[in-house]
Amino acid sequence: MNESIVWLREGATGNPVQASLFDEITDDHLLLWSTTWSPEMRRYVAANAPTDRPEDSHWNWRIKSFSSSGLLSCHSFSLVCNGELQALMIARDLASAKLPGQFGQPLVHLEFVATAPWNRPEFHQPVRYKGCGRILILAAIEVSRACGGKGRIGLHSLPAAEDFYEQKCGMTLLGADAAHQNLSYFEMTETQADQFRRNQMKP
Amino acid sequence: MIAPVERELSVSVVSDPLKKTMTLNLTVREMAVLEELAAKKDLSKTATMRLALRLLQAVDAKVQMGQKLYVEDERTKDKSELVLL
Repeated sequence: MNESIVWLREGATGNPVQASLFDEITDDHLLLWSTTWSPEMRRYVAANAPTDRPEDSHWNWRIKSFSSSGLLSCHSFSLVCNGELQALMIARDLASAKLPGQFGQPLVHLEFVATAPWNRPEFHQPVRYKGCGRILILAAIEVSRACGGKGRIGLHSLPAAEDFYEQKCGMTLLGADAAHQNLSYFEMTETQADQFRRNQMKP
Repeated sequence: MIAPVERELSVSVVSDPLKKTMTLNLTVREMAVLEELAAKKDLSKTATMRLALRLLQAVDAKVQMGQKLYVEDERTKDKSELVLL
């Protein structure tokens, strides 16, 4: 397992804070998920109307992690800051691009991406940390580069996250995908990935 | 505190940085197919072989779980089972 030092920003002050990105979801991370993240999610769901339920509130990361473990094509990531779990991601590198210009070429598909409840504005104002999603997108781009995909990534977005992928990440929206519950499908080209990586270097 | 933001890019995703080397002997036809696939997929020959390994492992895992692999004709919707050894 590799640990990368990355930087988030405190939601309240904007100050940078050091965090660790692990290229694995370990039992310790799953324990943090089940003892902190999951209970907070359950409390929120119980206290709010079904229409306000987070779209990923039913995700069981223990099951998701188990079904991808051991497969060379699956890549799991955990983001930890100050001993707390901040975000999780599972990506798979056996996917093909759909955009004209890169159609049929390999890309990394982000199967599941989620930030901890305390990093979401609907749970906490201000959020505890900002920048978790950006770090995970960077990780996916690096996986793609390591596999020869040149930074190409793709994902089916839950409705609440569409703006993030289109506006903040600069991905291209290809429309609703009937084969994936009509979720909007986004792709990032090699050029967009390079641009995204360069933008992260700006102070 | 000034964030060394450049370090954000030092995301390491290679779980096993220790690589092992092997020599792969291919027939002329196999090499031609590998070169054709590598060009089509915009990959190096090494990356293409690694992709093939990941694909075979992923398919084998499904078959071991008792699942079947089908291919579907996009136009006619005809399905046929892909039998794997």
